[in-house]
Amino acid sequence: MAAAGSDKASMAGKRKRQESGEASKKRRKSDAGDNDSKTAHATITETIPRLEAEIQESRKHYNNIATLVDLAQKLNEDPKVAFAACEALCRTFLRLLPAGALVKRKDASEKDTTVTNWLRDRLADYKGALLAFLSSKKLAINALTLAMAIVKAEAKHLTDRPEPVFPRHFFANIIAAVLESPVDTLRDYFATNFIRGYDDMRFYTFEAVADYLTQHQHESVDDGIRDILFDLLLNMDDVPASSEALDKFFIELPEKKKHPLRSIIQHKKQVQEAWLALMQRGLSKEQRKKVLGAMATTVAPWFTQPELLMDFLTDCYNTGGATSLLALSGVFYLIQERNLDYPEFYTKLYSLLDADMLHSKHRSRFFRLLDTFLGSSHLPAVLVASFIKRLARLALNAPPSAIVAIVPWFYNLFKKHPLTTFMMHRVPRSQEERERLESEGMDDPFLPDEPDPMETRAIDSCLWEIVQLQSHYHPNVATIAKIISEQFTKQAYNMEDFLDHSYGSLMEAEMNKEVKKPPIVEFMIPKRIFTKAPPGSEESDSLLVSLWDFGSSS
Amino acid sequence: MCVRHSHTHTHLAWHPSYDAPNSTSTMAGSQLKRLKASLREQGIIGPQKSKKEKRQTAAQLKAQPDKRLQRHEALASIREQFNPFQFKTNARGPKFEVTTNKPVGDKAAMGIKGRPGLSKARSEEKRRETLLVELQRRNKVGGIIDRRFGEDDPNMSLEDKMIERYTREQMRNHKKSSTFDLEDEDESAGRLTHMGRPLFDDDDDEDVGEIGVRDDFDEEDLPSGDESDTSRAERRRLKRLRLEEAAAEQEEEDGQPERKKTKKEIYEEIIAKSKLHKLERQAAKEEDNELRQELDKALPELQALLFQQRPKEPSKEAGAAEPRLVIAGKDKATVDKEYDIEVKKLAVDKRAQPAERTKTEEEKAKEEAERLKELEEKRLRRMRGEAVEESEEEEEEEEEEESEEKDKKKKDDDDARDPFQAEPEDEDEFGLGKGVKYRPTATELGLDDEDDFLIDDDLVASGSDLEFDSDGMDSDESDEEASGSESGDDERDDDDEFVKGILSEAVTKDAVFQAPENKKGNDENGIPYTFPCPQSHDELLEAFQGVDVTKHPVAVQRVRALYHPKLDSKNKERLGRFSEVLVQHVAYLGDRFEHHWFPTLESLSRHVHSLAKSFPIEVAKAYRAHIQTITDDRPLALTVGDLVILTAIGTTFPTSDHFHQVATPAMLAISRYLGQKIPQALSDYATGAYLSILALQYQSFAKRYVPELINFCLNTLCALAPEKLSERPGFFPVFEPAAGIRISGARDTAVRQLNCRDCLPQQQPLSPADAASLKVAVVSTVTAVLKSAAETWRGLPAFHETFAPAVAVLQHLAASPKSASHLPSQLAARVSSAATSLSHLLALSRLARRPLELHHHRPLAIRTFVPKFEDSFDPDKHYDPDRERAELARLRAEHKRERKGALRELRKDARFLQRETLRIKKAKDEAYEKKFKRIIAEIQGEEGHAAKEYEREKAARKRKARRG
Repeated sequence: MAAAGSDKASMAGKRKRQESGEASKKRRKSDAGDNDSKTAHATITETIPRLEAEIQESRKHYNNIATLVDLAQKLNEDPKVAFAACEALCRTFLRLLPAGALVKRKDASEKDTTVTNWLRDRLADYKGALLAFLSSKKLAINALTLAMAIVKAEAKHLTDRPEPVFPRHFFANIIAAVLESPVDTLRDYFATNFIRGYDDMRFYTFEAVADYLTQHQHESVDDGIRDILFDLLLNMDDVPASSEALDKFFIELPEKKKHPLRSIIQHKKQVQEAWLALMQRGLSKEQRKKVLGAMATTVAPWFTQPELLMDFLTDCYNTGGATSLLALSGVFYLIQERNLDYPEFYTKLYSLLDADMLHSKHRSRFFRLLDTFLGSSHLPAVLVASFIKRLARLALNAPPSAIVAIVPWFYNLFKKHPLTTFMMHRVPRSQEERERLESEGMDDPFLPDEPDPMETRAIDSCLWEIVQLQSHYHPNVATIAKIISEQFTKQAYNMEDFLDHSYGSLMEAEMNKEVKKPPIVEFMIPKRIFTKAPPGSEESDSLLVSLWDFGSSS
Repeated sequence: MCVRHSHTHTHLAWHPSYDAPNSTSTMAGSQLKRLKASLREQGIIGPQKSKKEKRQTAAQLKAQPDKRLQRHEALASIREQFNPFQFKTNARGPKFEVTTNKPVGDKAAMGIKGRPGLSKARSEEKRRETLLVELQRRNKVGGIIDRRFGEDDPNMSLEDKMIERYTREQMRNHKKSSTFDLEDEDESAGRLTHMGRPLFDDDDDEDVGEIGVRDDFDEEDLPSGDESDTSRAERRRLKRLRLEEAAAEQEEEDGQPERKKTKKEIYEEIIAKSKLHKLERQAAKEEDNELRQELDKALPELQALLFQQRPKEPSKEAGAAEPRLVIAGKDKATVDKEYDIEVKKLAVDKRAQPAERTKTEEEKAKEEAERLKELEEKRLRRMRGEAVEESEEEEEEEEEEESEEKDKKKKDDDDARDPFQAEPEDEDEFGLGKGVKYRPTATELGLDDEDDFLIDDDLVASGSDLEFDSDGMDSDESDEEASGSESGDDERDDDDEFVKGILSEAVTKDAVFQAPENKKGNDENGIPYTFPCPQSHDELLEAFQGVDVTKHPVAVQRVRALYHPKLDSKNKERLGRFSEVLVQHVAYLGDRFEHHWFPTLESLSRHVHSLAKSFPIEVAKAYRAHIQTITDDRPLALTVGDLVILTAIGTTFPTSDHFHQVATPAMLAISRYLGQKIPQALSDYATGAYLSILALQYQSFAKRYVPELINFCLNTLCALAPEKLSERPGFFPVFEPAAGIRISGARDTAVRQLNCRDCLPQQQPLSPADAASLKVAVVSTVTAVLKSAAETWRGLPAFHETFAPAVAVLQHLAASPKSASHLPSQLAARVSSAATSLSHLLALSRLARRPLELHHHRPLAIRTFVPKFEDSFDPDKHYDPDRERAELARLRAEHKRERKGALRELRKDARFLQRETLRIKKAKDEAYEKKFKRIIAEIQGEEGHAAKEYEREKAARKRKARRG
């Protein structure tokens, strides 16, 4: 899409160029009479096409190029004229480059070499002028198009070698200019039309980015640029499936099979380098969360060696809070894909179940992962019991949407680990035990502060919390909590049905029910709602009236 | 013995086909010989017997009367035995030799499958009786059925019949012949009968069914006392008397030596008696007449007495009497028509019903207690979330209405009773054990405001659609009222008074009700007496413009009176809309509240509540719409109006229900605020405190757990505590408070209660003193909430886990070194007392804790896939476990069988008919032939005779000629 779009754009550009070329020819014919008279009176705008046409006419007018470059460099004085000069120069160089005018040849005459060198110098000047344009608000995108056209032509025709040679230096300058440019649309344009449009552009871009970051290692890179790079990397498309899938090239497909552009690994490596360079710069908290959120889907797949992410992920995982929750999926990705051995994974996981976990907005995400982690039936029942009990404790302070998700999950775990069902049903064994219970009651054997899930003694405890939630104020939550005291006839609950709820969705569900049947109305109309009962009367105040001042003293 | 022997013998003789080779020599020989032999063996024939022997056997026969039967049997068996086609058997005998407990002679044991001859003969006979008769009667109309005596009795011989008939005839004739019988004239002979039963019978023990047949024409109703029309009852009575007399005479006669009376004497006696009876009858008749006239005179009074309850009756009676008066002036047709109409009306008319007994005070109290008990049970059922069946509920509702109506009736009984009659029992609603107290009077309750009185009067009366039906009879009810009415009769009087009470002061014209235009008259407070019925909130604001907010309840009450549903059919709709508007108005006033408005808001909410009884759906929808706006616009920024609305919901609807269309979303809105709001300003804490109280009040009865409440309260305490807690004391989320939220330097602040002004977001920062006072108030309120939450939820199984953090927080608040210097001592004392009571409750809950035993379920049976074996399998039986399918299969088989049988029968019928028609035809032909032959013969004879005569004549003439 993007590629096609850019193609179209470039084609349109070409057409425009051609048309303007023809127009200039016509103009040239029309005012052929005063061809020689270089009057200073003629407006500069009119001179540019003339200068351009003259260059095309004969080599002796090459000096016009210098004039045009001078014009083009006057960006601050008259941007319109300067850009028109740029366009003219672009056309000129696009004509000159395929013609081989800039190719250094060994067998060339001295005069020719001088011309070639001179032209090359002018081209460098022109490039500098173009780069300056990239920071202008109005003309940046147009300038970028011109620059990329020059890049393309240069790659193909600057040397006499058969395969193109990519002008890395110029491109790196372009990238730096793009990054540093204040124009946001320019970056978007570049990202959509070039990075996502062409595989080789992506390759060279990230090469340039990595270079840029390493070059500026010691200076502090501007936060803005860091953010820009971050967004750029984060918004990348999916990884191409194989080397064969690399088929969109801005310049052209290199002939050689071994060429790095044709290898997916090399591509990945460039992105990975860019990422690593960026990460070495340090990320803000928000960016970290973003990276972690996209870790498994967009970041890690670009890495040829995801192990390199390990430190980052472990650091994040150890941070605690929401960051840990997010890092979890990355860690899991490594465990799953790269056989990462994470010491005391479950202890760490257990420590994630803190007071804020059930209130976090990443709750459903976490539960999906937790469901995966505790999905194995080979886990020790003690461990599973710890998780159950801990979550049950948390549920005492949880919003209804979280309770709704927890309880069916408990059910599934109970089904999977029958040993844990003692937490629901524990008949005192001996008479003494019974007597002791009668006389002393009991404490919860669960140790809530124990960090090791194997040592919490949760398996000796009972789920009083869930039984308490069976009298939750929300009818649906109460009903769901009741499943643990009914017979376990169902095989398992589908967790997806319970995960994504919130106050809003629960409320919506309630409000969507149409009132058809007349609702039951309290039979007695209370005598007092806001006012206090007169002193001496037999009625007692409601809780509200006794705790709140409604301003009535009677 | 002999018979038995013969049986065994015949047994052998039945199977000549396979018995023959083994049969004894007696069986050999011709059919005749064998017959003789068997006859002899049976002892039916035998060698010539001597006279002596004959006599002996004759004597024996006399002694044993069944000997003859035995003989018959023997003969029959012999007959069978000589017809090999009598039985249908297996061609080769029984398939298997079986030992059976069935008797030897049983046909199944002998392999007999049927008796074709017998069944054929039987069916033939049956056809002859039915089909043939039908055939013969075909195409014939009418006929005479012989119902003479003994015609159908096969046991009687012709002579017997004749004799019997003759005697009967004679007897009848003899009875008739009593020429001088005065009373029983042609009783039996000339009586009309129907279906062989007499139409008017004179026995007392007649069937009930016949009473219906009897003419109910009452002779006594006729004005003329015709002598010949003596009533039948009279006759019966006389007859009975006579019989008794006759019996007495008989006794006398039995006692005395018999003296034969002369005929003359007898007749004289009879005549005298009959005259006497006649006289008696006349006297009795006159007496009856007198009595009847008396009754006629007293009739109006009686009627009044009968139809006392229905005031309409007299007018109707008058209307009915009218046509009667002018009968003379009208033609007969109209009179008849009117009469018919009247009769129909009477038929439709409701019967007078006994009024309910006035109940004693105790009975009323008991009834009331029962009603409350029932309501309470229903509430509990709803609380447990048990499904109440639709119909049942409706019934219950009906019952409820009934009981309500009874209530009202009760109220009517005593005019002096105050309108709060239901209120004191509110206390008794849950306990029920205290018994019911007598109601305090209005003055006792300190009621003197008339407006108040009227409001409450209206509040207590609740409308219901169900009661409408009983209104149909009311005479003073105009048609338009009937359509809109929704309250019971008893309530009506009340309401009428209530409405009149207002209108008497204002314009009391009907036009006011019909076209509710603003004809303004104002009372002393400047409140108009009439309002348009506001159909939107803007209209309401316009209508109530100029009315002080505190007088809005009066205005509302007037609107309700003016647009009472009984006054106009449209009013119901209007009031429904009005109740929705009123909800909006309550929220509106709540948002612009003044501190002294709360009594107003209260009475408006109560108005809404009372309207909710009549318009539950409208009010519920209005409340839900408000909750919806809260959810959409400001889920975490509730206004005071929202708080008021949520409070009103809590009182209007039962919050204890497991699910309720309004209460559940309201509770969710509350808990959403408590759970999700991260308090920034002090007003947020105040709002949260209000909602916590409200949530607790919602759950005060059902005692359901609200996690958000605990979270909010603990977070608030942590946030306001002068010092941060060193470690998080539980699993509730803690939000770091904004700057300046913690209490500091409030040592000398007085502890006050929160009010609604505290919930308003502060426009400019509070002065330090105000802020400190507010903080202290929040802390004290929240502490109180926690304490009462602990009381409410003390029974919950995880009470310890729930409230242990609370104790920690409270203790921190009370005991941390900084708090002593920053908290007012009164508050610190309150907090520490709360902490103490909480820790006491914690200890209690620890004592009460037991391990869970949730799964004492009956173990589930494991599914078995072993096929079910039948111990005594019978291939003829169907063992389909699917009952319906088995039934269907059975029916299908039966149908098939029946169909086959019917076809066979039809075929046989056809064959029989063919045979019969052929026979008839043959007979006819034969008769014809015979007749033909006879006629031919006759003619031939005549011809021959004539020919002979002719010959003779000819010969004679010849001879004459010869002679002559």
